[in-house]
Amino acid sequence: MKKKFKVENLDCAHCAAKMEDAIKKIPGVEDAVMNFMTQKLTLEIADDANMDEIVDKAQECVTKVSIVCEIIR
Amino acid sequence: MTSRQKKVLYRILISGIMFIILFAMEHTGGLEALSSKWMALVVCLVPYLIIGYDVILKAIRNIRNGQVFDENFLMMIATFGAFVVSEYIEAVAVMLFYQVGELFQSYAVGKSRQSIADLMDICPEYANLEIDGQIEEVDPEDVEIGSIVLIKPGEKVPLDGIVIEGESFLDTSALTGESVPRKIYPNDEIISGCINGSGTLRVRVTKEFDDSTVAKILELVENASSKKAKVENFITRFAKYYTPFVTIAALILAIVPPIILQDNWMIWLERACIFLVISCPCALVISVPMGFFGGIGAASKIGVLVKGSNYLELLSEMDTIVFDKTGTLTNGVFEVTEVIRKKGVHENVLQIAASVEAFSTHPIAESICKAYNKEENAEALKVIDVEEISGHGVRAKLDESEVLVGNIKMMKAHGISCKAHKGSGTVVYVAKDNAYLGAVIISDTIKEGAAKAIKKMKIAGVSKTVMLTGDRKEAALAVAEELKLDEVHYELLPGDKVSKVEEYIETADRNAKVAFVGDGINDAPVLARADIGIAMGSLGSDAAIEAADVVIMDDDLRKISRVIKISKKTMSIVKQNIVFALGVKGLILLLGALGMATMWAAVFADVGVAVIAILNSMRTLNAKF
Repeated sequence: MKKKFKVENLDCAHCAAKMEDAIKKIPGVEDAVMNFMTQKLTLEIADDANMDEIVDKAQECVTKVSIVCEIIR
Repeated sequence: MTSRQKKVLYRILISGIMFIILFAMEHTGGLEALSSKWMALVVCLVPYLIIGYDVILKAIRNIRNGQVFDENFLMMIATFGAFVVSEYIEAVAVMLFYQVGELFQSYAVGKSRQSIADLMDICPEYANLEIDGQIEEVDPEDVEIGSIVLIKPGEKVPLDGIVIEGESFLDTSALTGESVPRKIYPNDEIISGCINGSGTLRVRVTKEFDDSTVAKILELVENASSKKAKVENFITRFAKYYTPFVTIAALILAIVPPIILQDNWMIWLERACIFLVISCPCALVISVPMGFFGGIGAASKIGVLVKGSNYLELLSEMDTIVFDKTGTLTNGVFEVTEVIRKKGVHENVLQIAASVEAFSTHPIAESICKAYNKEENAEALKVIDVEEISGHGVRAKLDESEVLVGNIKMMKAHGISCKAHKGSGTVVYVAKDNAYLGAVIISDTIKEGAAKAIKKMKIAGVSKTVMLTGDRKEAALAVAEELKLDEVHYELLPGDKVSKVEEYIETADRNAKVAFVGDGINDAPVLARADIGIAMGSLGSDAAIEAADVVIMDDDLRKISRVIKISKKTMSIVKQNIVFALGVKGLILLLGALGMATMWAAVFADVGVAVIAILNSMRTLNAKF
């Protein structure tokens, strides 16, 4: 399953790469792209994974890098 | 400016004013007049904390999260170091200028990103759906296939569909880069993302939003930055090592020389702080991807989609360009290119051929009729007893005489002597009462401006142009000669095209890339095999958009040389940024180690360089190609 999310207050390319690396390591995530230019997160998750749970975990990863950055669902 | 940026701006202003007062006091000796050194520290801490509290908080939080080497931490250490060596004013200045630079940087990034986003602002926000005669504004994603939507003047076409009512001009420039609007009549197909001109259109939707052209293109553009160029990957790897390296160097600088040289600890601590300020690779990490994004943006401005920055990099190294003939270099439409009349014959050969062929549905017959109908006073002759002879041609009766229109085999079968025509194209012979009258030659026509486009590609740096075709030798050579192509391979089977392209890839140098240009209809395997697959005229063709690396939305060959220029410009800007950023940083590191650079210079090397590099990377977007 593939889904796109808008990301707010993502203001450094360096951080976006860090977030992407962390999100990719979440169990159930097959691929993740944190696009700094379009301010969008693309998540590809396993079919049996729960999207809501994964987005919660992804938000944790994002907050660790930048406290103001937020994934919009 | 966002509200967050405004908040930072106010903090900069407040602490900036305080800094100026302190700065003046220091130079007039006012600061020493304060009762004690501790008093001076407290006075300087006020503007320092106003401007830098968030940096320190972030640094502490990141350390707790196990991320030590981030710029906040480095700024904190650098300014703490300045306090330790009693350079209070300097500590405030460094933090202040760091924040000014960060603000400017985030503003510049936001602006540039916005200008790229505006360029790709082709996504329709709503559709006027017709429900039981009533119009309702809905999300394009909720419209089903077969529904009727109304497109008012000036609105974006929300979904792909067929016009059922209304006439208008359609502005396709956002998709194709073509500035001349296209006239639209009922029964024409229209593509989402275009802008409707002056007329209102009623359109029957043929594709769901997710399958529509606009959704496909947006998806492609958004994913473009995930395919990274070699330079980009290099920078990412470099950044990983750069920061720890500089930080460790700073540590060594702070400890080793004072011990060996028995020198003052404070001097070397200050120099180490300079190292820390420069240790962030931000200038590179932001400006390099941004440069590529600017290049992709510039290409999409002229109607060329580049599917990733790696392809932009490959385009700049393109050495050999292989074309498919039909539909790429030629129009793929058969037209009458020549009419031969035997000496002494007065009849209109084309008229006779057209009158007889009017009853046939063969594509060649159709092009003969089309050519004749273009003539002035075109009028078909009365023919009767029309009989189509498979594999030969058509026989008919015209005013008591027998007319034969067909190939050389037909002429031979009737014992008619005629000169076999040499050269490209298909020949249709015309005979009346067993006497040869003349012939009509039909061939595929070369695209307008193709020769010029090839010449421009050569100027742009392509060293070899090749044509592949399944067509006959004569036809192939004629086209190759007219376009001045370097090499040509003819009478190929579809599979041969892949192996030919492979041959070119194998024989080429490692840094000389091979591109294949096709119309994407049946050459998807070749497009995929080439270093760079370029699909042409693919607006609305999903297969081509999928298989190719570079998609030219209309069928204008001239765009190839333009996109090569864009790729070269992008690469040169990216390289400029790398050299500039690393050069300045290296220089300041060196001067810093020797004690010849100030903290101020270090702040410039960090944020100043980043801002300049970002502004530089946006040049591609605004340049004309």
